[in-house]
Amino acid sequence: MDNFSHDVLIIGGGGAGLRAAIAVAEINPKLNVAVISKVYPMRSHTVSAEGGAAAVIKPDDSLDHHAYDTISGGDWLCDQDAVEAFVNEAPKEMLQLEHWGCPWSRQDDGTIAVRPFGGMKIERTWFASDKTGFHMLHTLYQTSLKYDPIQRYDEWFVTKLIVDDGRCQGAVAIELATGQVQAIAAKSVVICTGGCGKVFPFTTNANIKTGDGMALAYRAGVPLKDMEFIQYHPTGLPFTGILITEATRAEGGYMLNKDGYRYLQDYDLGTPQTEPVLRSMELGPRDRLSQAFVKEMEKGNTLEGLYGQFVHLDIRHLGEKKINAKLPFVRELCLKYENIDPVNEMIPVRPVVHYMMGGIHTDINGATPLPGLYAAGETACVSINGANRLGSNSLTELLVFGARVGSVAAEFASNQSDYTFDMAYESITEENHIKNQFFKEKKNQERIADIRKEMHKTMEEGCGIYRTENSLLASQNILTDLKERFSHVAIDDHSRTFNTELVAALELSNLLDLAESIVQSALSRKESRGSHQRTDYEKRDDENYLAHSLAYQEKDNKPRIEYLPVTITKWPPGERVYGR
Amino acid sequence: MDLTLKIWRQPNANSKGEFKSYQVKEISPDTSFLEMLDILNEDLLHNGEDPVHFDHDCREGICGTCSMFINGRPHGPQRGITTCQLHMRSFKDGDNITIEPWRAKPFPVIKDLVVDRSSFERIIQAGGYISIGTGGVPDANEIPIPRRIANEAMDAAACIGCGACVAACKNASAMLFVSAKVSHLALLPQGQAESKERVENMVAQMDKEGFGSCTNTGACSAECPKEISLEHIARLNREYFFAKQSSENVPVGDQVHEG
Ligand SMILES: Cc1cc2nc3c(=O)[nH]c(=O)nc-3n(C[C@H](O)[C@H](O)[C@H](O)COP(=O)(O)OP(=O)(O)OC[C@H]3O[C@@H](n4cnc5c(N)ncnc54)[C@H](O)[C@@H]3O)c2cc1C
Ligand code: SF4
Ligand code: FES
Repeated sequence: MDNFSHDVLIIGGGGAGLRAAIAVAEINPKLNVAVISKVYPMRSHTVSAEGGAAAVIKPDDSLDHHAYDTISGGDWLCDQDAVEAFVNEAPKEMLQLEHWGCPWSRQDDGTIAVRPFGGMKIERTWFASDKTGFHMLHTLYQTSLKYDPIQRYDEWFVTKLIVDDGRCQGAVAIELATGQVQAIAAKSVVICTGGCGKVFPFTTNANIKTGDGMALAYRAGVPLKDMEFIQYHPTGLPFTGILITEATRAEGGYMLNKDGYRYLQDYDLGTPQTEPVLRSMELGPRDRLSQAFVKEMEKGNTLEGLYGQFVHLDIRHLGEKKINAKLPFVRELCLKYENIDPVNEMIPVRPVVHYMMGGIHTDINGATPLPGLYAAGETACVSINGANRLGSNSLTELLVFGARVGSVAAEFASNQSDYTFDMAYESITEENHIKNQFFKEKKNQERIADIRKEMHKTMEEGCGIYRTENSLLASQNILTDLKERFSHVAIDDHSRTFNTELVAALELSNLLDLAESIVQSALSRKESRGSHQRTDYEKRDDENYLAHSLAYQEKDNKPRIEYLPVTITKWPPGERVYGR
Repeated sequence: MDLTLKIWRQPNANSKGEFKSYQVKEISPDTSFLEMLDILNEDLLHNGEDPVHFDHDCREGICGTCSMFINGRPHGPQRGITTCQLHMRSFKDGDNITIEPWRAKPFPVIKDLVVDRSSFERIIQAGGYISIGTGGVPDANEIPIPRRIANEAMDAAACIGCGACVAACKNASAMLFVSAKVSHLALLPQGQAESKERVENMVAQMDKEGFGSCTNTGACSAECPKEISLEHIARLNREYFFAKQSSENVPVGDQVHEG
């Protein structure tokens, strides 16, 4: 690692990044792979996924069923060739993980257990108790340790991609423990940096989900695809935004308004039954459930709490035994964070920002338009998630597209000559750039926390579950203003070891760029589809918008939107039907 | 509530550390322990002082990053939780709270409350994975795993690698962590083929990293936020014993780790 030159550089050590690294090492053991991560890989956000990962395994299921659920769930914005590849390779990847030691939950007869999930017609979500992401990440992590060619840069923060001679050739990063700024060369670079929930105030995403990789690619000229599609999960705890997994509803939980009424029946999601029914009521797709919450709130049917409006998720009727067996972590979270016991109390919940359907524009193998640059995982948009991701498709996506991207990045790297840029020059230039940007005394000095707070406010108000031209224009203006104010940010903390303030500033600068691309994409899409709901354009408009938006960063740093047609193979656009 | 905090401050790995006292005021009992430290840090930053460095990430008890020795106990006074799951309601108005990093030779302090736990990683690197049969993938349903065994493996796999077991142990033994890792793989059929080498290599690495020996006091399991059971240590010892017995080159006088 002394000379900071590798064959493949993977930015991100979550599920997607580690799966990609293993794929490279298995395909060509001669290649030297580096995994760089701003936190220890095991702390990546994949660790907190609870519910499970979808793949066809049971005899009554079929690949076509999984594909159809995914495509209709995504309101026909998914590329169907990508979805077909995804559902096809999913079971193989899940079994592979089993062989690496992932302790999938089992049925009494010893076979793999599956659970139902929202928007899925057949039960196909594999799980490892309710710590699926944790067990998957640990399995990948422990497996990655056996490959000597995989080197790690833990707690290094990437600030810039290096593009030279028309291809991506590496990245510049800060070693957080020492403050050293260092260029790292590679023949191919894979971005696996996860989502950007932190553009919004209420989110299930941890603090590290600041979309850094999306911003890196965007600034290097790569378009961001479908950024207007933001998933709200219908059941987050108020205030903390901690997620109560969908499995809670799959096991039979009810959503109740202030009158104890299962209000989802009023929103074309089916009629209430005692037992959970697939693709119906509480097991409808997330976008529709979150939208129903807003409508209930407008009708005055929600409850008022310390931290805003909420409804109830009721699992008391499941009984203590079932709750302990199937949802121990949910009980643990409620006890620890809300001081309530779901065995005899109802859980207060509200929609919270959860997942980015959009991301770095890639093809079906994870290649971006910039030669040498690849992306996979939540940061990428292939797209299999369309306008609304189905719960439990994401973890599987990390495996399928992590493996795919690893193999193409390995192949590209095998056929490249060495890097052509000057390593010392790149390192020093970036270091000076950071110093000039943040370490100088400034007139009218601004605080990071203030700007972040205002960004959060305007994104929630202007670009939330429902949007209009006016709300979006207002957000656009505020963001322009905030970006100007950001140039007055100066950092008080000048220490070199673990300068958390510097990291916060760099992350905020990424978030601001992403917020702008989200708002611009939402403004341009004059229709309602999946998670993108415009009250001024209430219908889906396939004639004009059966297309992916692509946001390019222009010279003046503003986004420009273009469109790319959706790939349709077998399933022509139709109505999304749930519960009937 | 108002509190006095006595916090270990150490600028870097090579410097000598010391305790410093801080006051925090009007903290609500509903704030979490880490939020309370966030509040302190905002004050410190505001006064131009270096904020207290501590590890944290998920704040949901899953990632294993948070690691503080609070009033003499890893992860504080409550059982079965991590520091990030601790709330101020576990303390009283006017309390003095002492906050230290994990103290163990194999976990050197990097800064303040942040320690380097890469020794755990090297132990896993020594064998905590399955390397055979990664080529072709037969159907998982062809090797059915009885639910009881699957559950036990799952319990072992719940270890978050936080290191509280080491911090709790007067000998700084890593037996609970290592036994959880060994147990998880030893229980699964796909992990059995390599179980002999695995246990030998991981135990050897644990010794090499300078972790102490296990004298079976059970402090580790009592302080483990995931309540990993001592049974896993017994299983490790069994595995280790049989592995050593069947090894040809048992060094004379090599100790069996006590359960
Ligand atoms: C609470 C929660 C529950 C979920 N539950 C489920 C579920 O049940 N099923 C499901 O399918 N999906 C679920 N999801 C979604 C899914 O977990 C995520 O989409 C997925 O884990 C993302 O994985 P990733 O590998 O793309 O990124 P992450 O796991 O977020 O990893 C990102 C990596 O990039 C690194 N990184 C980021 N920026 C930088 C930088 N500037 N420099 C260096 N490194 C950097 C980070 O250190 C990290 O290693 C859930 C999400 C959340 C938030
Ligand atoms: S055994 Fe328990 S205390 Fe030890 S590292 Fe694992 S989770 Fe932490
Ligand atoms: S911060 Fe993740 S376990 Fe405490």
